[in-house]
Amino acid sequence: MKNELRVLRAQRNWSQADLAERLGISRQSVNAIETGKYDPSLPLAFKLARVFDTTIEAIFSDQP
Amino acid sequence: MPQKKLAPAIRRYILRFFTAMTLYVIFLVGAVWAFPRYHPTGLLAYLLAILPALPIMAVIGVVALYVTEEQDEFQRALLVRALLWGIGLTLAATTAWGFLEVFSLAPHLDLYLVFPLFCVLAGAANGIVRLNYK
Repeated sequence: MKNELRVLRAQRNWSQADLAERLGISRQSVNAIETGKYDPSLPLAFKLARVFDTTIEAIFSDQP
Repeated sequence: MPQKKLAPAIRRYILRFFTAMTLYVIFLVGAVWAFPRYHPTGLLAYLLAILPALPIMAVIGVVALYVTEEQDEFQRALLVRALLWGIGLTLAATTAWGFLEVFSLAPHLDLYLVFPLFCVLAGAANGIVRLNYK
């Protein structure tokens, strides 16, 4: 699934490790989500949206 | 490089795992020591013989607890995948070995070796499934 995580992180000047800490998950997990290798569950997607103060649809897209 | 703090679920897993393995060593040494000296019979013999298996069963429970307690869903998914590979490969290998044994093409494999075999295969699978996500 395509996502805007890299852009959103860059806007806030957060590293993957920074985001991982905010989410309470590992940096490896953030990387897997960001590179589209792993699609997060709904609860984690909501958590991501909350961390970036936006909506799930603004972060993830199922369109190629 | 800063010291990485272990997640609480991993810390609990390590503590439980080493507790179970310590008990395993004690029970195994105890059973191997006591059997030839006291020649237990009946129920006592069965209890003493099965004693070293109990901490191994506990290790299976410890892994299951870790899977339920790990808060990082991606790490959990990777571990479950590795465990499934480990289970599948162990069943495949021991089934094949069993038939080789039936036709006298392989020596007898003691069943208590199945669990260590599973640990080795699941451990290898754990490394391999993570290669994609470096």
